[in-house]
Amino acid sequence: MRYQSQKIAYWYFTAALPLFVLQVIVGLWLAINYTFTIPQAVVDLFSFATARAFHTNLLVLWMLLGFMGGTYYIVPEETESEIFSPLLAYGQLIALLVTGVAALIGFLFGWTQGRPLLEIPRPLDFVVVVGVLIFLFNVGMTMIRANRWTTIQGTLLGGLVFLALLYLFGIPFYDNEVIDWYYWWWVIHLWVEGAWELVTGAIIAFILMRLTGVDRQVVEKWLYVEIGLFMFTGIVGTGHHYYWIGAPSYWLWFGGIFSALEPLPIVLMVVDTMHHVKARKNTIVNPLTWTYAVGCAIFHLVGAGVWGFLHTLPQINYYTHGSQVTVSHGHLAFFGAYALLNLTTFYFAMPKIKGIEVYDERLGRIGFWTMTIAMVTMGLTFGVAGVLQAYVERVMGMGYMTAQGFMRLWMGITLVAGLFFLAGLLVTVKDLFCLKPAPAGTEEMKSRS
Amino acid sequence: MTKKMAFQIFLWGTLSSALLFLWLTWDTHRQVVALSHADRLSAQVVAGKRVFEKYNCNDCHTILGFGGYYAPDLTKVVKRIGLEGTRYRVLSPEVAFANSWRKMPKLGLSDVEIDNLVAFFTWVGEIDNGDWPPQDSEKRLGRAALRLTATQGVSPGAAVFQTSGCMNCHSLNGAGGSSGPALDRVGRQYSKEELEHLIRSPKSVNPSAEMPPQTQLSDRELEDVATFLSNLK
Repeated sequence: MRYQSQKIAYWYFTAALPLFVLQVIVGLWLAINYTFTIPQAVVDLFSFATARAFHTNLLVLWMLLGFMGGTYYIVPEETESEIFSPLLAYGQLIALLVTGVAALIGFLFGWTQGRPLLEIPRPLDFVVVVGVLIFLFNVGMTMIRANRWTTIQGTLLGGLVFLALLYLFGIPFYDNEVIDWYYWWWVIHLWVEGAWELVTGAIIAFILMRLTGVDRQVVEKWLYVEIGLFMFTGIVGTGHHYYWIGAPSYWLWFGGIFSALEPLPIVLMVVDTMHHVKARKNTIVNPLTWTYAVGCAIFHLVGAGVWGFLHTLPQINYYTHGSQVTVSHGHLAFFGAYALLNLTTFYFAMPKIKGIEVYDERLGRIGFWTMTIAMVTMGLTFGVAGVLQAYVERVMGMGYMTAQGFMRLWMGITLVAGLFFLAGLLVTVKDLFCLKPAPAGTEEMKSRS
Repeated sequence: MTKKMAFQIFLWGTLSSALLFLWLTWDTHRQVVALSHADRLSAQVVAGKRVFEKYNCNDCHTILGFGGYYAPDLTKVVKRIGLEGTRYRVLSPEVAFANSWRKMPKLGLSDVEIDNLVAFFTWVGEIDNGDWPPQDSEKRLGRAALRLTATQGVSPGAAVFQTSGCMNCHSLNGAGGSSGPALDRVGRQYSKEELEHLIRSPKSVNPSAEMPPQTQLSDRELEDVATFLSNLK
């Protein structure tokens, strides 16, 4: 850590991790709902719908906190200056946390906008907007004051502004259900396959540059190509959500073709990461941070790229749309692209903030492998359940609950895998909160060998 | 490749895709009016949409394929289980799903809210959305049923049974739902005529029946499915 204000990031990460744990615990409850019969009295009090609102909103909240923390860590180094106002940064963290907690408590009492992922009631939406504006102002002012522009921080700021703008399309009430979903995807799709990819590209580029010591010009050149491809394929690729909503049928062509190209930038990201690792000028100091960075690239490709590609063709999507196949893709993609990205950032920045150059990675390694293997298993079991659902319910027309009967066993296995995931996550969180310097001698031997 | 060229790739990649997307958005707005029958988008339908959002229905159910995957898709719900079937399930889920291993919460909608909600579902069901979902597609499952009757010697009544959602609640040979009674031997209990009455108006034959009246079946379909069921002995 070179700048005092980078410490702000630590508090964002500290706030994000318990929310991640809570998200996973609620996720286990959702899997229990799929596997066992929940008595009517419990369902009346705490329905699946409420639990799902918890699960998804916690996801968005902790990931955005992670991105913001990452930004507060990176921007001082990129601008070579302190953050404009640490006070605003802390105030904005508290505002977002209070809003998030208020929203969750509200869900329990039926206070909701009632649209999936955008359940936060409209009055709270405006608090979120104010919080994000303060964040953008703070980061923007830091950059303007320093007046030292780099591609990495430009991409980061661009992604964050884009992210904030898109959120606005999720706020109005739309009379027409078709138009409602049309703009719902401006938030959801253009976030995860647009704005968030810009943020990811910038953060990964920064971490790779710092880890490998590869020349900035090379890293930033590839960053431009990557985000160019992300934007080109991702924007019109939104069309793969418009196949069956009552939009014109040309979306089958535009959505199908552009989203078939969507894996390209991710492939480039993997190749690029591998290339930088090979051409590195620095020795590997903390192997686990590397494992996370490379794991993120590969998991991103499989979960978002391959799994997305698999059911994006209209002919396949006709049967898999809105089934557990979507759930399989959602879990692999969010974990691979964004959970691992945030954890990579945490493992990169948190030791530095604590002043630990080489950290003891034994626990963290157990956490990484437990989580990734559990998530691969969950992706597969959700996938099997989804294919069963597509066949029994949609091809054979045998009724929704008949199909759910066949899927029940697989949802049960998902629950078991989820327990392993939670265990891995708890180990990881404990490790991140109690980072210790490595016992002398061991790490140097590893990097020499 | 220089960094300058890379920047050009970024700039033109983003701009071209964004411009194409905005143009398609403009055209989609133009066409959605007809595709969604926006002329029939009455105040009651909009009020129904607000009810749908107020009770967070969409985090268990999907509509147009989006939302929670915990409960059946509602795009064509009116076509699948009829207006009365929909009302019945919303009004008293604890009865409708008493025998199901998955429950729906009691939401406590007022009568007006239920009217509005059903109007909303009726409107959504008529959106021209590429014949999705497949399980409610007459073209696809109708064709499958036709093939069944032609090649497998299955009666038209069996095809109606399989494709009208009966198996959402009832089972045959262990396949199907468990919220209604199994029908393997229903022909011993009821005659064809009784079955016809029972399907149209369950309470007229069995006052304690929890099944919603199946008013969506045509007379021909009703006769076919009653013939089929009365032969299950």
